[in-house]
Amino acid sequence: MATQYLYNVTHVVPLTTIRRERRLPVPGSVAVRIGQRVQPGDVLAEAQVAPRHYFLDIARGLGLPDREAARQIRVNRGDRVDGGEVIAGPVGISRRTVRAPVDGRIAAVSGSRVLLEVEGEPYALRSGFPGVVTATDGTQTVTIEATGALIQGVWGNGRQEFGLMRLVGDSPDDRLQTDKLDINLRGAVLIAGMCDHPAPLHQATELSVRGVILGSLTSDLIPVAQRLPYPVIVTEGFGRLPINLMAYGLLTSNVGREAAVDARPGGTYEADRPEVIIPLPSARELEVPDEVVPLTRGVRVRVLRAPHMGAVGVIQEIEEKAVPFPSGILARAAAVDLEGFGQATVPLANLEALQ
Amino acid sequence: MSALLEADTLLAVDVGSVNTRASLFDVVDGRYRLVATGRASSTAGPPLFDVSEGVRNALDQVRAITGRRLVDESEALIMPATRDGSGVDLFVATTSAGPKVRTVLVGLMPGISVESAHRLAASTYLDVVQEIGLMDRRREEEQIDVILAARPDLILVVGGTDGGAGASVVEMVDVTSLAANLLPESQKPRVVYAGNRTLAASVVERFGDRLPVSLTANLRPSIDREELEPARQLLSEVIAEARRSRISGFDELTHWSGGNLLATADAFGRVVRYLSRVYDRRKGVLGVDLGASQTTVAAAFDGDLRLSVNLDLGLGDALPGLLRHSSLDKVARWLPFEMPASDIHDYLSNKALHPSTIPIEPVELHLEYALARQALRTAIGLARQTWPMVRGQRSVESMPPLEPILASGGALARCPRPGYTVMVLLDALQPSGVSTLVLDPYSLMPAMGAAAGVLPMAAVQVLESGSFVSLATVVSPVGSGRFGRPVLRLRLDREAGGEAVEGEIRLGQVAVIPLGQGQHARLTLRPERGFDVGFGGPGRAGVLRVAGGAVGLVVDARGRPLHLPVDSVRRVEMIQKWMWDLGAQL
Repeated sequence: MATQYLYNVTHVVPLTTIRRERRLPVPGSVAVRIGQRVQPGDVLAEAQVAPRHYFLDIARGLGLPDREAARQIRVNRGDRVDGGEVIAGPVGISRRTVRAPVDGRIAAVSGSRVLLEVEGEPYALRSGFPGVVTATDGTQTVTIEATGALIQGVWGNGRQEFGLMRLVGDSPDDRLQTDKLDINLRGAVLIAGMCDHPAPLHQATELSVRGVILGSLTSDLIPVAQRLPYPVIVTEGFGRLPINLMAYGLLTSNVGREAAVDARPGGTYEADRPEVIIPLPSARELEVPDEVVPLTRGVRVRVLRAPHMGAVGVIQEIEEKAVPFPSGILARAAAVDLEGFGQATVPLANLEALQ
Repeated sequence: MSALLEADTLLAVDVGSVNTRASLFDVVDGRYRLVATGRASSTAGPPLFDVSEGVRNALDQVRAITGRRLVDESEALIMPATRDGSGVDLFVATTSAGPKVRTVLVGLMPGISVESAHRLAASTYLDVVQEIGLMDRRREEEQIDVILAARPDLILVVGGTDGGAGASVVEMVDVTSLAANLLPESQKPRVVYAGNRTLAASVVERFGDRLPVSLTANLRPSIDREELEPARQLLSEVIAEARRSRISGFDELTHWSGGNLLATADAFGRVVRYLSRVYDRRKGVLGVDLGASQTTVAAAFDGDLRLSVNLDLGLGDALPGLLRHSSLDKVARWLPFEMPASDIHDYLSNKALHPSTIPIEPVELHLEYALARQALRTAIGLARQTWPMVRGQRSVESMPPLEPILASGGALARCPRPGYTVMVLLDALQPSGVSTLVLDPYSLMPAMGAAAGVLPMAAVQVLESGSFVSLATVVSPVGSGRFGRPVLRLRLDREAGGEAVEGEIRLGQVAVIPLGQGQHARLTLRPERGFDVGFGGPGRAGVLRVAGGAVGLVVDARGRPLHLPVDSVRRVEMIQKWMWDLGAQL
């Protein structure tokens, strides 16, 4: 039989090359060059994502029948016009005209109507982490590369920030609580075990924190987290789960350093996951971490479900035949040496590679 | 090759969002039989975004079981089969994997064409993200902005009866085409027109050369007539194309299947429709497929198929969608123990993050199947809005007579005990009268549907071959009353002989009478006044021949509709008792 692979891979890597493609939702203009060094807040590209449109009724404006009005239109599709610029006319003794109400672009001319596109606030595509531009298509995508530590999560609230990491609590299962949040944490990226109450999340808003990295969050707080102005990343899942020891060790060993918190929500068909990038220098060339890992003895894995949800271990053996579990379900499984729990048999479906 | 059949060896592949399955069929004694199945993780999502890897892994498993070489050195399918026993004669493929197809619906009348379009969208993998209509109060500019912000993959235009007035349709098309042409070239949507047929040329012209319009029959040719099938077929192609553009590997499956890569739901519905013509035409046939990303409900009444695809109901990434239709309390009511709603919510959210994971502890298994019940119950409730009233149906609320009821999907297939599967199906579907519950443990329904075009009898042959599990014949009296009052008396005479079974069933009871798979019996039912078992009205008695199953003959006398005890302690007690009675205890 051919080699089997684990397609679920979460990266928790102390030092690696991180290559990320940033993409505008629609084509726009790229503001950086290949080889250029960029900072987290730098705008890589901009685009008009939600322009507003206005119909200018030329026939009504000029007081003419449709066909005649159409002949008076002075602009073409694609023309840029300034506010007050004549769009159609003048006609008649009173020299009636139709003028652009604001600056914009002629999106379409349809009969005696002109569709004016007015630009809104442009969407700014930011780097999110410091790095070097390694590729761009010139209109929509920019690839950034850097070296550093990478910690991927399972859920994010869709926001992105960059700041100094600070630890709240003493262990990977410590709760984020209001009495632990003081003015010294202002503007920091907070690391805590879990959160099961909205109050500390709101207090963190008042402290203008740049992000919160949690092992878990109770599900009732999902809508609360989605409304917060700063990024929230969950590394394990929902409920009351501690941060896995690998991620916790990596995060705590980098406390005091700056980290990029990219809390994109991810999804079944999304290539990118929520992640924390801690930029670190490297004197040597580093490989980009593997996205697919062969399912073999010695592979480091994380358990995705109870019991031992979130536990990290190493595959000792892949069972030849399906194994019965207490639920009555038969499944292909592996014997895994789990840190803190010892050897356990876990269905392959409940494992992901941790690299 | 058999003289009767055009092809001997059939290979079917179904690519789901979580699993990819390959099933090999061959002709044994002139009838199609399942030879082997292979199942592998689907690779339609990250990091590969290429279904080929999952397909290869599933085919590899089939090869490991049968020793039959299916692909050559260049990994191309060997077809037709060779003399040395390699390859296959026929290949069919289905898929439900891929991102939702974002759709803007442009319609005319809310109660007429728009309603038909919604029914059409609900019968396939469309996600209607915006709607523009004649009664829309937004200004035209706002409608344009709405279409642009939606960034649709598809614009579905409907409206007007054939030969009817067209000015309003044309006005809507003008605004829509203007908006669609403003979208960047790389995001140009497909446009499907299923409206007033006489306006088709005008609609094509208005969208212009840059936006080709696919035309199909008007889904509302007249006020009182609805024709969804032609549009659904066209939409299947559009959906397949949208998926091909985002995920690799579908081209190969399309090529192997001779251009017929079908949507899983369409293939599933095709089998159900076919069976409704083959079996007792006075009853409908129901098929439910509970997947990770969607739940499909297919009901057919003498060839009239009603297909419903619920993209926000499923046991994987679609789980959070259940809370848009239902509450956590409604999930908790199915559990054989009490559990805080917050724990159920956490479980549901975690399962959505890792859809392919499986429950290994009994508590999680019960929770998973409580979610399954509620997802199915919700899906059935939504689907039934489109079903016709049929003869023998006691009321709009009660289920019509259905025979058989087919259940498919990964979660139902891996249920550890047949009694547990029966309990899930009884709770969720609440059938009425007499029905047979059949489980599709290898998810063969889509394969049978895809093959039905070329091998119509294969579906029936495989269904009757033992590859499907007959779970139970279920008697579900319709009626209500005081708990413990008599509901019916029954007598079961096994055809194989032996002592007859006689007894009285009381309200609230679930009774199982052993009757093994392949066994048949004569069943006499004498319902009490007020209870209907499908013999023409409440209290009417009758005799019928029934088949056995993995569980046997089940009488579900919990009443219809099923009312669970309000008191949670009592409810838990009752659920535990019913599970015990059905042999569903773990």
